[in-house]
Amino acid sequence: MTAAVPPTGDGLGDRRVVTLPAVPALGGLYVKGLAGVATSVVGRRLGRGSGALPDVAYEVAGVRADAARLTAYQHLVGESASDALPAGFVHVLAFPLAVAVMTTPGFPFPLVGAVHVANRVEQHREARLDEPLTLRAWSQGLRSHRAGTQAELVVTASDADGERVWTGVSTYLAKGVHLTDRPGPADDPAEERTPFVAPVPTGRWQLPADEGRLYAAVSGDRNPIHVSSLAAKGFGFPRAIAHGMDTAARALAAVGAAHGPAFVWTAEFARPVLLPGSPAVRVARDVDGFAYAVWDARSGKPHLTGTVRPV
Amino acid sequence: MPPTARQAAARATGPAPRRALVLGGNRIPFARAGGAYARSSNQDMLTAALDGLVARYGLQGETIGEVAAGAVLKHSRDFNLTRESVLGSSLAPTTPAFDLQQACATGLETVVSLANKIRLGQLESAIAGGVDSTSDAPVAVSDRLRRALLEASRARSAGARLAALAKVRPRDLAPATPRTDEPRTGLSMGEHQALTTAQWGISREAQDELALASHQRLAAAWDAGFFDDLVTPYRGQTQDGNLRRDTSLEKLAALRPTFGLALDTPATMTAGNSTPLTDGAATVLLGSESWAAAHDVTPLAAVVDAEAGAVDFVHGVDGLLMAPAFAVPRLLARNGLTLDDFAYVEIHEAFASTVLTTLAAWESEQFGRERLGLDGAFGKVDPARLNVHGSSLAAGHPFAATGGRIVATVSKELHRARVAAPGGPPIRALVSVCAAGGLGLTAILEAA
Amino acid sequence: MGDRYLDLVNHGFAAKVAKQLGLPRPVPLRRYVPGQPLVDGPLLVLGAGDDADAVARLLSGPAGGAGGPVLDGWDLDVHRRPTAGARYAAVVVVLTGLTHPSQLAEPMLAAGSVLRELASAGRIVTISRAATAADAPAVAAARQGVDGMLRSLAKELRGGSTANGIVLADGVPVQAAAAVALLRFLLSRRSAFVDGQLLTVDSEAGTLPTDWDRPLAGQVAVVTGAARGIGEAIAATLARDGATVVAVDVPAAGEQLAAVANRVRGTALQLDVTAADAGARILEHALQRHGRLDVVVHNAGIMRDKLLANMTPDRWESVLAVNIGAQLAINEALLTSGDFTAAPRIVALASTSGIAGNRGQTNYGASKGGVIGMVRATAPLLAPFGGTANAVAPGFIETDMTAHIPPVTRQIARRLNSLQQGGQPVDVAETVAFLASPAACGFQGRVLRVCGQNMVGQ
Repeated sequence: MTAAVPPTGDGLGDRRVVTLPAVPALGGLYVKGLAGVATSVVGRRLGRGSGALPDVAYEVAGVRADAARLTAYQHLVGESASDALPAGFVHVLAFPLAVAVMTTPGFPFPLVGAVHVANRVEQHREARLDEPLTLRAWSQGLRSHRAGTQAELVVTASDADGERVWTGVSTYLAKGVHLTDRPGPADDPAEERTPFVAPVPTGRWQLPADEGRLYAAVSGDRNPIHVSSLAAKGFGFPRAIAHGMDTAARALAAVGAAHGPAFVWTAEFARPVLLPGSPAVRVARDVDGFAYAVWDARSGKPHLTGTVRPV
Repeated sequence: MPPTARQAAARATGPAPRRALVLGGNRIPFARAGGAYARSSNQDMLTAALDGLVARYGLQGETIGEVAAGAVLKHSRDFNLTRESVLGSSLAPTTPAFDLQQACATGLETVVSLANKIRLGQLESAIAGGVDSTSDAPVAVSDRLRRALLEASRARSAGARLAALAKVRPRDLAPATPRTDEPRTGLSMGEHQALTTAQWGISREAQDELALASHQRLAAAWDAGFFDDLVTPYRGQTQDGNLRRDTSLEKLAALRPTFGLALDTPATMTAGNSTPLTDGAATVLLGSESWAAAHDVTPLAAVVDAEAGAVDFVHGVDGLLMAPAFAVPRLLARNGLTLDDFAYVEIHEAFASTVLTTLAAWESEQFGRERLGLDGAFGKVDPARLNVHGSSLAAGHPFAATGGRIVATVSKELHRARVAAPGGPPIRALVSVCAAGGLGLTAILEAA
Repeated sequence: MGDRYLDLVNHGFAAKVAKQLGLPRPVPLRRYVPGQPLVDGPLLVLGAGDDADAVARLLSGPAGGAGGPVLDGWDLDVHRRPTAGARYAAVVVVLTGLTHPSQLAEPMLAAGSVLRELASAGRIVTISRAATAADAPAVAAARQGVDGMLRSLAKELRGGSTANGIVLADGVPVQAAAAVALLRFLLSRRSAFVDGQLLTVDSEAGTLPTDWDRPLAGQVAVVTGAARGIGEAIAATLARDGATVVAVDVPAAGEQLAAVANRVRGTALQLDVTAADAGARILEHALQRHGRLDVVVHNAGIMRDKLLANMTPDRWESVLAVNIGAQLAINEALLTSGDFTAAPRIVALASTSGIAGNRGQTNYGASKGGVIGMVRATAPLLAPFGGTANAVAPGFIETDMTAHIPPVTRQIARRLNSLQQGGQPVDVAETVAFLASPAACGFQGRVLRVCGQNMVGQ
């Protein structure tokens, strides 16, 4: 599970802040990431990763979203086109920074092949297209998992006044990578999931075969397992899989304006949606906000579940 | 003051509006998709329906106050569908027109809005209507091709134009056919209704029985010549193409379910108890009392009041087609009426189970208390008063044309009942139409 | 419906060949257009006596002249004796004073002397009196002689010219409205396909129109079977003559019916005439929508031909039900309603098959003969209200129905009349409109054939 990041303060701890002139290009990072796969093959064979996260935070100031890309994103995930940045779009905007963290030398597991298992976004207010944002990314919470090792990538977005607008925590799991200097997985009660029972659906998504490519185009996340079924096979999937954040963003869009400007949006990714796919969906009010679930309509097995709740 | 109280106060103190009267109607027989009207456009069919109305009421060259109609599936070229149909008809070219669209409630909404204009004195006469063709539905190009074409058309140089077009990939050339799925849920209307059907536990047998009654009643009405002055044949189609005179409970029971197959409850909705894709057009002649008198037309019914409703189906609060279950109680409360005050209840048969879930909700104590804020159940509809001449299951459902079909049919029936019982208490009909997007539109008609 | 032969023999080389071979050379008939002159050229009025003078006065007198509408003149160029070199558009022979067959010689020979100079589409009209058993034998012989003479003369004429007779019943003056209206009808192009016919004026009933181009102005007329063919033409013609038309046809023909109603600016009533309440619904529609009902045209009809030896009950019964049963039932509903009493007129469609018979049409012949009997017996019921019932018997008319006759049979059938061609639906419609006009109330239960003087029958 993701750990909370304080809404105020920088949450940086004693990390070294490296200011970058601009958000790095993802293409180069993926090259680095793939190189990471090569080097970590050795590590994986050894069954161990390095024992600590890099104590660095990357920061880029004055980041502005591109209107055309924003619109394309909004249309793809089912938001209305407007100058308000959807919470998922800020994630996309800052994603290269998070990747930069994961490709920093010494990061304990490779980027490519790491599985996005959970995501938590806290939006304090709506960010707008015309405002410059300061984005920061770092990693935290390295720990053992029974299937490997997981770490959290934290991203914050602040406005010109230094006020925190948006905080995202993405949890990644590197399967089969075990930390040498850490004990085996603790019995984290949160890991004890209640078995998923498919609820009454409220909808069904039609995700086309090129959904991964379409989301890659608007997000920049061209992870091969989303855009190429051949590459996906290489990672053990029969076909290309949908981006987790694409499906989570669609759920957020389905909640609609009812989430208001400030909310916490969580997602737990179970098994990926194979493309093309038409998963069943339920997006409905629960006690305190909205809960959603996306699952395989035939098998009833979950793809992701989450909530959208007021802050 | 809450809105309803304010309305009531305005109603009590303001000048009584004039009566808006249903004077008659005309539709073309409804045809199954790909049938007799496969090559007819919405404009063709609406023009034919208008011309039949003109012929029935001798309105050649007449300037009608306003004509309002619409279509659910609409070509972009039909941006002025109704006006173009008027220009192609025998009405005076000086007849104004406007298009309206409210999914399957389009037809009824044209009646309601024009009736309101008549009540306000803005209009003396009007023609309401709707048309839909699933055979001649618009086929769009893919988004990528569309964008490339638009970009090329905006380009200022040949090079830029070529560059724009160079983005087109072979797969972009595949047409994007229109989807009837709910845009926000991705579920078809049938899948949505399957959820509602399961929620209310409506049985397959009850649905098939309703479908059978619809066919039997529609067939009886045709055989009795009831539609002789409501329908004008078109393109060789002389009766509703979907009508199955030979259907039976056994035949209906033999059909395989088509909706709700993925649910963990038994699938009960079949092609037999759901409306098929249909082509057709319908019109309704409306007027003030003075216009009717001046044109020697006997009024059939008055449009008394109407209420629209909507439900939050996106978040699963209510079934997609359940809006009328909420709108009707509000409408009746405003008019001080109960279900027992209606001699006729017309509930559009989008699916047999749409009618049955609506009736079940009204009969439910819990629904009445928790959702309608009543002391108990809203009420019960006598099956003998429900869809007395059949409805969409038998006649078919060309989306925007259904409202006009229902209003003209029930208005004639109201008038017939009035003639049979002159001077008696008011004879009323309740009309309820559910629509995509969680919409519903309901109205009260009263025999004139 | 096209008649290629007619087109062919009127153009170029084929016309010459046809002439040399002595083949029939029909000429295209000229039809009525509102506003056109009644005749193109001078008229010759033959015969002596008050009636001849009255007719000459009527034809030549100034329009709007004194003496009431009957004597309102038509302002035509009228000659009382043949003038050398004159090319007559029409010859009217007044024979009402005949007392002996020998008196036919003078006027008819005078008429014969101008026939070679008769204009194309010329008109010969005789006016005579009906022969009855009460007449002196010589009088009856003279009067009946006109009948045979006229029919023979009609067969002699060419170039689209016709000969028809007005027969005045005992005591009916030549100025009777029906006689005047009939004279005008026969002189006009409205009667283009009426040839060799004599029609008896039974009474002085009827009123002349104030506008000869709109004799049905202000009248409401119902036409059954109006969706197509002859019925469509009748609806159009009645509307042209000023009537408001209620176009009736079976619901299944509603699309064409609506088109007809919209074209004639009337109303469409989808109705099966064999329905039990057909008469009541027709009356209700007419009264409610148009405030009155003046004319009912029983045109709806079907054919189910079969030799009697092979006849089936459904073929027999359906033809009788539609073609005569429905007319009887509707008439009864109208007559008993009390709302069909202002000079009401019924015009029913009979057929030459109902007069002369036609192989394979025992059912049809029975129904159409029945129509003739029906109008004869219905007219006296309407006479007390100043109304009447008459029938029109079409011969070979170019319609969808006759288009289905095999080609050779069709070509022969077309030529078997004095005008050597088939008639058009409008020809039937013009005659229907004439018998529907208020002036026609002087005809009581008569049948007027529109057949180009078909060889068969009377």
